[in-house]
Amino acid sequence: MIHLQGVTKQFAGKRQVTALERLDLHLARGEMVSIVGPSGSGKSTLLNLIGGLDRPTEGEIKIDGQALSTLSDDGLTRVRRDKIGFIFQFFNLLPTLSCLENVSLPLHLRGWPRKKIDERARELLDLVQLSGRLEHLPDELSGGERQRVAIARALSVFPPVLLADEPTGNLDTHTGAEILKLIHDLHDRLGATILIVTHDMVVAESCPRTIGIRDGRIVTDVRRGDARREMSRA
Amino acid sequence: MMLLRLISWPYARKHLLRWLLTMAGIVLGVGVFVGMHTANQSVLAAFRETIDKVAGTTQLQITAGEPGFGEEVLEKVQSLPEVRAAAPVIEATVSTGQGNLLILGVDMLGDRSLRTYDLEGTDEAIDDPLIFLAQADSLIVTRTFAEKNGLQVNSRVPMRTMQGDLIFTVRGIMKPGGLASAFGGDLAIMDIYAAQKFFGRGRRFDRVDLALLDGVTLADGSAKLRALLGSGYEVSPPSSRGEQFEQTSRIYSLASNITSIFALFIGMFIIYNTFAIAVTQRRSEIGILRALGATRSQIRTLFLTESAIAGSIGSGLGVLFGIVMAHAMASYIGNILTEVYGVAQRADGIQVDPVLIGGAWAMGIVTSLFAAVIPARAAAYVDPVKALQKGRNQALSEGESLLRRWAAVGCAAAAVIAVIFSHSTAIFYAGFVLGGVAAVLLAPSLTLWLSRFLRPLLAFLRPVEGTLAADSLIQSPRRTSGTVAALMLSLALVISLGGLARSSYDSLADWMRIALNPDLFVTTAQSVTSRTFVFPASLGDGLRAIPGVDEVQLVRSVRVPVKGGPVMLVALDIGSVERRAKLPAVEGDAATMYRRTERGEAVLASENFVRLHGGKLGEVLEIAAPSGVLKLPIAGIVRDFSDQQGSLLISRQAYIRFWNDDSVNVFRVYVKQGAQDSDVRQRILDTFGKQQRLFVLTNKDVRDYVTRLTDQWFGLTYVQIAVAVLVAILGIVNALTVSITDRRRELGVLQAVGGLRQQIRHTVWMEAAAIGFIGLVLGLLLGAVELYYAIEISRRDLVGIDIGYAYPFRTALALAPVILIAAFLAAVGPSESAVRGSLVEALEYE
Ligand SMILES: Nc1ncnc2c1ncn2[C@@H]1O[C@H](COP(=O)(O)OP(=O)(O)OP(=O)(O)O)[C@@H](O)[C@H]1O
Ligand SMILES: [Mg+2]
Repeated sequence: MIHLQGVTKQFAGKRQVTALERLDLHLARGEMVSIVGPSGSGKSTLLNLIGGLDRPTEGEIKIDGQALSTLSDDGLTRVRRDKIGFIFQFFNLLPTLSCLENVSLPLHLRGWPRKKIDERARELLDLVQLSGRLEHLPDELSGGERQRVAIARALSVFPPVLLADEPTGNLDTHTGAEILKLIHDLHDRLGATILIVTHDMVVAESCPRTIGIRDGRIVTDVRRGDARREMSRA
Repeated sequence: MMLLRLISWPYARKHLLRWLLTMAGIVLGVGVFVGMHTANQSVLAAFRETIDKVAGTTQLQITAGEPGFGEEVLEKVQSLPEVRAAAPVIEATVSTGQGNLLILGVDMLGDRSLRTYDLEGTDEAIDDPLIFLAQADSLIVTRTFAEKNGLQVNSRVPMRTMQGDLIFTVRGIMKPGGLASAFGGDLAIMDIYAAQKFFGRGRRFDRVDLALLDGVTLADGSAKLRALLGSGYEVSPPSSRGEQFEQTSRIYSLASNITSIFALFIGMFIIYNTFAIAVTQRRSEIGILRALGATRSQIRTLFLTESAIAGSIGSGLGVLFGIVMAHAMASYIGNILTEVYGVAQRADGIQVDPVLIGGAWAMGIVTSLFAAVIPARAAAYVDPVKALQKGRNQALSEGESLLRRWAAVGCAAAAVIAVIFSHSTAIFYAGFVLGGVAAVLLAPSLTLWLSRFLRPLLAFLRPVEGTLAADSLIQSPRRTSGTVAALMLSLALVISLGGLARSSYDSLADWMRIALNPDLFVTTAQSVTSRTFVFPASLGDGLRAIPGVDEVQLVRSVRVPVKGGPVMLVALDIGSVERRAKLPAVEGDAATMYRRTERGEAVLASENFVRLHGGKLGEVLEIAAPSGVLKLPIAGIVRDFSDQQGSLLISRQAYIRFWNDDSVNVFRVYVKQGAQDSDVRQRILDTFGKQQRLFVLTNKDVRDYVTRLTDQWFGLTYVQIAVAVLVAILGIVNALTVSITDRRRELGVLQAVGGLRQQIRHTVWMEAAAIGFIGLVLGLLLGAVELYYAIEISRRDLVGIDIGYAYPFRTALALAPVILIAAFLAAVGPSESAVRGSLVEALEYE
């Protein structure tokens, strides 16, 4: 599903930074993987590259067999549209739009008919248990509620890949746990390939596979048995 | 200073483009001001220089309006013991293939004691003035003119004069400098008696130039001369002609003043806008500074210093821009003044006046300081605690907008009251200003309301892009309202000027239909207004004898001093005019006023004469004529557009009696029914065209000419439209640049969740279109009010004619696409930069 080969990312600036160095990675369809590592190790950079928000300096990334380097900017956007959902640490909801409108956003951008958009958006907000907050603005919600809206938005097109950069980083432990549970539920129900960047070992260990990154290289790649996973979720 | 370097400079560098755009506002304002005034001053200076150079050592000039006076005046003047030297002059410009040429007719014998003729080589003919005098066909030209036309000494120059074709011979070429550089060097000297024939002046002079004996004061000399000649003559130093010119071109200066003040005013809005935006954007920075111990006055000083720096750089560039513009405009203005007022000048170079430049520069700085006062104050009062909290705070505070709305309502009410009491000039203008202020104060609220109104509409067009564009406007009224206000003001000006122009054209067309109804006009030049050459009255009989001619009216128009200024006196056969082209009476008894005027007992005054020179029905006017001061009452007031400064109609018989001048400028010819205009025209040309200088213009030629003059006059409207479009583009670029910076994260999210670049562009375009649309709506509405004022101002102080209110719907319709296209153009740059930036950074952007 997701295939990285020899991916290097360098940032040119006053001093050149190599954020990722000849990184190889393969994720199968429906896998749920967490990425951990110290600050500045290149986790966000990796996620951005996979999501097509940025391009690698060297190497190739394939999503569903499609090489991203051959695509134009709009081509990348189309891949994002059809295959990828994003969840950010700071939610990134549009402050002027209601919950319903925020969730509808990706669907509108795809030009769906209004009626279908409305149905889908309500369905998703229902899924994240926010059906009572349809017309609220993001400012009127708590952090956890906002992240749930963001998740609903990320899932609105039922993307086969979900990328989350510290989805619980800005939430308290309890709310973080709720969000984590939601993501696991969705994984079970929708079967998407999920990649979570996190500092939180509880979050990391709840995933069947955890990849450790340091200085732009993969240093550990742990797979846990299903039993372990069931245990941590209990 | 430290703050400036640490805080302002990095910000300015980061928003370099915006600062440049801001300065563009000042550049525009100062530029238009400097350009217009420098061009005006250059034309005036050129005129003064020509007067000065032609004057030589002349101390006093004796004139009696345009008709001039008989030759006997010269002998009288020369007989005065205080006069050292006196010489007659005929001075006129003629158009040649190579542009205009100033012809000076002088008496070589006497003239050399007043003027120096510095000739090239030693030509005996000129060394002996008597020889030059003896040969009436002699011509002296300048080196400049000789080179332009390939002339040498003894070259023969054929000229079409009022007495048929004459061949002049170049008998001398003047060295450059002094007299020879008058009128840009396009100067020719001929004997005064040749000039009388050339221009058809009969035995008359335009003026007598004189110098007094040493020891005689100017005051003494002029008193003696006045006593000698009587009150029909003016005795004044040459420089006073410059003042007269200034007076005649007053309207033009006033109009250009209004334009440039307006440009500056708009520039002020752009600056205000930029600073208001900067303050909101830098709130957290200001908060940190305040938290670190900066005082309010330090913050205020910081912003004011920034605006002073931006203002002085912008004004400096504006001055340069203005000088460049003046180069382009000087000849344009010069042409208008020559055509409209018939004053000869030649503005080849431009005169840069350091006082004007310094003044404009200071004005630019003051304007930009003034514009920054409110934002600087807002910055000083930023609450450090709130500013450091996360999140943007751009919404207008409720109290502020309430205060503003009440102030606006107050101003509007005062403006309405002022309209009721508008017979007082001061109250009227106060109302005009208050109305504008009310509109400006209301602009932010109106912008908000209109944006809310637009939201569903835009959302319907494009659900995501439209909603976001409208929200962007609703969220940040500060960002947009300055742009909208500037746009509104400049569009209102376009509408009011456009409406004024349209109404003027309409009433002009009415007048032309009534007054300019002869089929043919026999003139001395291509233009009907030229008064350089005159016909003898006898040509009238000749014209009447042409088969097909029904009636001929003889018209003599001259400027004479009335009420302290030169006023156009039109002498014609009043009875015939009453029958053929009766002008609509504004005041007075239409039945008797023509008869009284025809008998020479009274004059008819034009509506604009009465308004501009302050006269009324029945008032006895004093008109200076060579035979003494004429006292005639105003028998009626009629609508007449013969002259912009107003005109007086007098019977031809009375004119001939008092001025002893029976010459004619224009013959108005009515063709018999059944006869073809073109046939009659050809017959006139065949009969008289060979013998003398003569043009036959058709009715259409004349109307086209008048329309063209008016077009030139309203050429300013086009400058205004250009300014409006520039303002639109500048303001919208400015607002959008800020908008996309503010919304960088939002636009990033949009792309992250699948928005294509085209969709991002759409949202920026829609925001631009919405700003343009709101500015357009408000501008067209305000324009309706401004038009009322424009028409009133023109009636009271400019043209003196009530032209009636008619909203220029066509101009308004044409403006819509222009402004929307401008908005789109303005959006191209910002929308591209919105899709160019790094997505990752945009998402991290705080
Ligand atoms: N736009 C950029 N320009 C220059 N260097 C960058 C840029 N973005 C990231 N880097 C550098 O790349 C390296 C990896 O950054 P990245 O954001 O991927 O780290 P991270 O693992 O997500 O850290 P954190 O846990 O703090 O979020 C860092 O050294 C960072 O300084
Ligand atoms: Mg990170």
